[in-house]
Amino acid sequence: MTQPETLLQVRNLKKYFPIRGGIFGKKVGDIKAVDNVSFTVNKGETLGIVGESGCGKSTTGRSILRLEEPTAGEVEFEDSLLNELNGEEMRRMRRKLQMVFQDPFASLNPRKTAGAIIEEPLTVHGIGEARERKEKVKELLQVVGLDAYHAERYPHQFSGGQRQRIGIARALAVRPKLVVADEPVSALDVSVQSQVLNLLEDLQEKFGLTYLFIAHDLSVVRHISDRVGVMYLGRMVELAERDTLYDNPLHPYTQALLSAVPVPNPDAERERIILTGDVPSPSDPPAGCAFHTRCPYVMDICREKRPEFQDQGDGHFVACHLMDE
Amino acid sequence: MAETLLELSRFKMHFHTDKGVVKAVDGVDITVDEGEIVGLVGESGCGKSVTSLSVMGLVPQPPGKVEGGSIKLSGRDLTRLKRKEWQRVRGNEVAMIFQEPMTSLNPVFTLGNQMVEAIRQHKEINKKEARQLARETLQEVGISRDGILDEYPHQLSGGMRQRVMIAMAMVCRPKLLIADEPTTALDVTIQAQILDLMRRLNRETNTAILMITHDLGVVAEMCDRIIVMYAGQVVEETDARRLFRNPQHPYTIGLLKSIPQLDRRLERLYSIPGNVPNPRQMPSGCRFVPRCEHALDICREKEPPLFSLEDGHTSRCWLNAEEKEEADRDTTGNTAPSS
Repeated sequence: MTQPETLLQVRNLKKYFPIRGGIFGKKVGDIKAVDNVSFTVNKGETLGIVGESGCGKSTTGRSILRLEEPTAGEVEFEDSLLNELNGEEMRRMRRKLQMVFQDPFASLNPRKTAGAIIEEPLTVHGIGEARERKEKVKELLQVVGLDAYHAERYPHQFSGGQRQRIGIARALAVRPKLVVADEPVSALDVSVQSQVLNLLEDLQEKFGLTYLFIAHDLSVVRHISDRVGVMYLGRMVELAERDTLYDNPLHPYTQALLSAVPVPNPDAERERIILTGDVPSPSDPPAGCAFHTRCPYVMDICREKRPEFQDQGDGHFVACHLMDE
Repeated sequence: MAETLLELSRFKMHFHTDKGVVKAVDGVDITVDEGEIVGLVGESGCGKSVTSLSVMGLVPQPPGKVEGGSIKLSGRDLTRLKRKEWQRVRGNEVAMIFQEPMTSLNPVFTLGNQMVEAIRQHKEINKKEARQLARETLQEVGISRDGILDEYPHQLSGGMRQRVMIAMAMVCRPKLLIADEPTTALDVTIQAQILDLMRRLNRETNTAILMITHDLGVVAEMCDRIIVMYAGQVVEETDARRLFRNPQHPYTIGLLKSIPQLDRRLERLYSIPGNVPNPRQMPSGCRFVPRCEHALDICREKEPPLFSLEDGHTSRCWLNAEEKEEADRDTTGNTAPSS
């Protein structure tokens, strides 16, 4: 096997949102949405990021594309540091980095036709003549499984699954290298969800795309990803090859998360770990390991020292003090 | 054998709109026995929520209209109740919890305030006693922290709010709890807590639960019996084990094949071709026919009835009729020579 080529490298990414209070709107604290996250994405692979609401998975995706300005850290894409580009350079760079959003109802302009929506990125990046662009739009509609005549219709005339296809066509219009998909199938029914997942896989093969696939549904992430990272309270707690992570999870949080998923098989016998309590607030994360308040194996050191995110062999990264035992 | 608690027979709830009649629920038969957990599954627009709201008498009429059939709760037909009589049924005999607990709680009143009000609607007790009862019920659902009754809904997390909703629903010990997507808005670890709580309440109080969800994983773990709905009709019904092992209706089969699995990875997901039919223009014959791989001529012409297979397994598909005939022929063929 050849050494995989790195496409995206995220180093110590942080995104803090200030909390303002008092009559002068003085900063009184931070929401640590993303707190020191590092990972790499290889060319042509799908890296899945899972976690519960508020774990920072979406903010991570948005900070990479600089839809949110990162507070600290580096994002290296191909040979450039995205966080050091100026506005114009970043705008041009976005041709290579596109995003597919969760809500197919909110992410399409209701006053534009599907054709105009898909054409917009081409216009913005100055690709082709007007007529060529129209052709391109038709081609894209067919690629995502819609018909050319759909170009004249408005978003409200489409079903949820079809809208998500339009969102995908828009992202693909500029032939990006990396697509960040933020919960692309969460708003869809199961039968439509499988259609969109199959489409994403087909497109990846056809155009050699690299995906950063962000979702909360562990089964969906297992299906589509090559490697999977698990986030908890703004931190990456575990990252490994797909099957390694699902068959042999090392972090107690990953273990609990996997055991909590209801499985559509009444005969499955599983040991369920039911975590007590809720996720702590990211404005005041616990000291030491962020998971220590709910961890069944908590030790003294967990309350004091934040565990390092370390490779346990074969690219299986875990941030847990149990690994040092 | 447990007694039948809820029985919908040939129940139809249609909506009359300017653009035509929407047959949201079109001839549905559902029974729930005492102490049973029944799952009602289907995709958006299949009529599962309208069915549950009809049982609660919460469908506004008009535009809704009961076009036929009955809903019997402990033998009494709910479709004939007057508004006053409904108030005695709701809360006392049947209670409901919803997907998004925040929309069911009033943001400007404390939890204690809201719970006491609800309790005193149904029980003739004074405020102090009601408050005590509220505190006890909250403890039953695992909220025991002091001062909870003086908190406002926004101070609680999603999981806690759903616990409060369950407590409010359980306060009068209803015989039936309708749970409409109770864990869809929650994270998996919190979902596991809530499902665990619902199972425990079912065991301890013998409250029957009608669980409405699109998540086949949740029904597999919770339910004794599962009813699958498609385009306003029941298409298949059987016990949970059988449904996952031996589904009969092509829609159920397609649905089960299209979910990604957690414990193994399939190369490619199956997907049911096409989309759900427009509720104003249902296809003639079987409603699933435009998306069905096994469609026969008869499927396009005649609407299939619910065929009874063995052990209470029913399926609305002409293929089952064929198999049944074949099976009948086989048995007569086999018995003929021996006689």
